[in-house]
Amino acid sequence: MSRYLGLFVAEASEHLEALGKDLVALEGAPAAETVDSLFRHAHSVKGMAASMGLEPIAQLAHRMEDLIDAARRAPGILGGERVDLLLAATDTMLAMVRGTGEGRVPVPEPELLGKLGEAVTSLTGAAPSPTRVAPVNPLATAPALGAGLFEVRFRVVPSAQSPGPRAFLVHKKLSSLGRVSSVRPALEDLRAGAIPEGKVALVLETASGLEAVREALGVVPEVELISIEPLRAEPPVEVPPPVVVPTEPARTVRVRTELLDDFLEMAGELLLATARLRDIGRRLPEVQRPALEEGVDRLHALVKDLHGKVMGARMTALAVITDQLPRAARDLARRRGKDVEVAISGAEIELDRAILDAIAEPLLHLLRNAIDHGIEEPDGRAAAGKPARGRLKLTVRRTRERVVLELEDDGRGMDPERLRAAAVARGRISAEAAARLTVRETLLLACLPGVSTAGDVNDVSGRGVGMDAVKRSVEALGGSLELDSQLGRGTRVTLRLPLTVAVVHLLLVRAGGEVLGLPITKVLGAVELPASAVQKSAATDVVGYGEQLVPAHDLARLLHLPPEGDRAIRPWVVMEGEEGNVALGVDALLGQEEAVLKALSRPLDRVAGLSGVTILGNGRPVFILDVPRLVG
Amino acid sequence: MAPKRVLIVDDAVFMRNMIRDIFSSDGFEVVGEAAHGIEAIEKHKELKPDLTTMDIVMPYKSGIEATREIVRADPKAVVVICSALGQESLVMEAIEAGAADFIVKPFRAEDVLAVVKKVLGEKPKV
Repeated sequence: MSRYLGLFVAEASEHLEALGKDLVALEGAPAAETVDSLFRHAHSVKGMAASMGLEPIAQLAHRMEDLIDAARRAPGILGGERVDLLLAATDTMLAMVRGTGEGRVPVPEPELLGKLGEAVTSLTGAAPSPTRVAPVNPLATAPALGAGLFEVRFRVVPSAQSPGPRAFLVHKKLSSLGRVSSVRPALEDLRAGAIPEGKVALVLETASGLEAVREALGVVPEVELISIEPLRAEPPVEVPPPVVVPTEPARTVRVRTELLDDFLEMAGELLLATARLRDIGRRLPEVQRPALEEGVDRLHALVKDLHGKVMGARMTALAVITDQLPRAARDLARRRGKDVEVAISGAEIELDRAILDAIAEPLLHLLRNAIDHGIEEPDGRAAAGKPARGRLKLTVRRTRERVVLELEDDGRGMDPERLRAAAVARGRISAEAAARLTVRETLLLACLPGVSTAGDVNDVSGRGVGMDAVKRSVEALGGSLELDSQLGRGTRVTLRLPLTVAVVHLLLVRAGGEVLGLPITKVLGAVELPASAVQKSAATDVVGYGEQLVPAHDLARLLHLPPEGDRAIRPWVVMEGEEGNVALGVDALLGQEEAVLKALSRPLDRVAGLSGVTILGNGRPVFILDVPRLVG
Repeated sequence: MAPKRVLIVDDAVFMRNMIRDIFSSDGFEVVGEAAHGIEAIEKHKELKPDLTTMDIVMPYKSGIEATREIVRADPKAVVVICSALGQESLVMEAIEAGAADFIVKPFRAEDVLAVVKKVLGEKPKV
C-alpha cells in the first residue's frame, strides 16, 4: 500500500480542505447543497482511509458523516459550536493524514470521537451508530483487504470522442465489481475529461478476481488495459515522502469564442507589425540589413505559423449547427400538419467558427421556408404522386477554397412567372428588366424584400429573417446564394461559403456622398481643422498634425466624387502612406466597424486605390480604400 | 446464429433511418423504432430486443429516464446511448442510470458497429 500513500495523502487532504471551506460557507448561509457536499467529502475520506487501513481517520470521518447526516433536514442547525467541533475534527484528520505521509501511524482520538458522538445524540436523540469501519490493522501481515486488491491501469485511446464519459464508464463497470478508490486523475477530473495522455490508475477491492476485472474492461470500446496487478497491504515501515503528483495539462480545453477572435486579431496584428519591421529594414544601410532581415524572416515564419494555428483552432464541424436541423424540421412540419424527413451529408466538414455562427440562423430559415412553402400537405403530395413524407436533403461539399451547402426539397417548386409578376407589381423591377432575366435570376427575385410566392403570411416564416436577409448575411461573409427550382419537383438553394474569414477593422467616413472604409491599422488619428488651416504650397496642400506638416488631400476629389460643398471646419484623417503620412479631408467620421473583407473581382480589382469591399450589417456595400495607392 | 434484434429510439426520423441502415447493413435485425421515451419503454417491454439505441433529448420522456426505467424492469437490458458532442454530462447521467455504453454523433457506421459488438460481447442474450 505504501505506493498509494502519496496519492492518499494528496486526495484526502483535498477533501478535508474542501470540507473546511464548506463548513465555513455553511455557517454564512445554511444550504442543503452545502450539507450534501460536506457529506460527500467526509464519506470519501472515510472510504479512502478505510482502504488504507487507517482506522483512526476512518472512525473520525464516520462520526462526522453521522453528524452531517443528522443535519440534512435542517442545514441551519449546524451552526456555532457544532461547526467549531466539525472544524476541529477536520483539522485533526488533516494532521493525521499528513502525518501518515511522513511515516507516522495515526492514533485514535477517543475524546474527539466522544464529542462528535454527543453532538449526534443531541440532534437525533439517539446514540450514534457504532463506527462500522472495518477494523484493519495496518501492521497485520495478511489483512483481509489484500486478498482482492488490484491496481488497475488503463488508457482511453486518443481517438475517443468523449474521453470523460469513456473513463467514467470504466469506473462504473469496475465499481460494480467492488470498491474503487485512489482514482487518478480524481473522479471529478475524469468526468470532465481532464485525463493526461488518457491514462487512469485506480485501486479496486473486489472479491470477483482478476479474470472478472479483465472481462469487465474487455467489453469497453476505446479503452486499452495497461496493467492489472494484485496488491498486498504492506506495513508502512519505509514510507516515502508524499508524492507530488505532477498536474499535466488537459488534452483539450474549452475556450470562449471571443478569445479565439482576440487571438486571430492579435495574430493578424503581428503579421502587420512584422511587415512594418521589414519595411523599416529596407531603409537601413546595406551592412546592417542582413542581420535584421534574417531575424524578420524568422519572426515572419513564426507569426505565419501562429496565424495558421489560430485559424485552425477556429475550425468547427458543421454538425454543430446541422445536428439541430432534423429535430427543428420535425417540429416545424408537425405544426404545419406535414411529414418531413431531413437527410444531411457532409456535416463533418469544418468551417471557421464565425461563419458557422453566422449561417446557423439563415440555414434554419431556409429549412423553415422549405417545409413551409416547399413541401406540400400530405393530400397535395398524394395528388402529385409523391410519397407522403417530404424529403429535405442538405448536402455539404468542400471544394478547394469553398464549402458548398445545398438544401434541396422535393416540394412544389417555385414559379418564375409568378415571381416576375409579383416583383413588377410591387415596383421592385420594371417589366422590361424582368423580361430580360434568366430563370435563375428570376428565382432570385424571391430574395427581394416584399417579393414572395407565398400566398399567406404564417407564424412559421412570417417572423425572423426573410430570403433577402439570408442572401445578405451569406454575402456579408463573402459567400453567395443561388436558387434552382422546377415547378412541381422541388427547389434547391446553394450556398457557397469561404472556409475562413478575414476580419478588418474599419474607420467609416463619408466623402462626396459615399460611405468609405479606411483600415484602422493605418489610421494615426483624426483632427478637425478650419479651412484656413490648410496651407497651399507649390506642389500640394499641407495641414499641421502635431508638430509635422502633412500632405493634405480632399478624399472626394481623389475619388472623383462630387464635393459636398465648402464647410468652415472639416475632419481630417491622418494615415500612414507609402512616403510618410498623409491627411485626408472627409465630410464626416461615421464610426468604427469590424467587417469581413471580401476580395474584389473583375473589373473592380483593377481600380487603383481599392483594396476590397465589405458589406455592412445594413446590407450596404462599402469599398475599403488602399490609401497609399490612392494617393500615389 | 439468429441475428441480434435491435430497437432504435430517436425522435428524429433522419437519425432513426440512419441507424437502421447501419444495423441492417451488418446483419442485425431492426425490430422496432420509437420516437420518444414513453414509446421506448413500451416497445422494449413488448419486443425484448438484444440491444436498444437511445437518443438523449426527446419529447415526453428523456432517454435518460427511459434508460433508467428499462434497466429497472430488465436489468439485463443493453442500452447504448446516442449522444452528441457537448452532451458529456448527460452521457454520464445515462451511464449512472444503467446505460451499457454510448456512441457520439455524428458517428460513422463502423464506430457504431464496433461499440455495439463489443458491448454485446459482454451480455450475450439467447
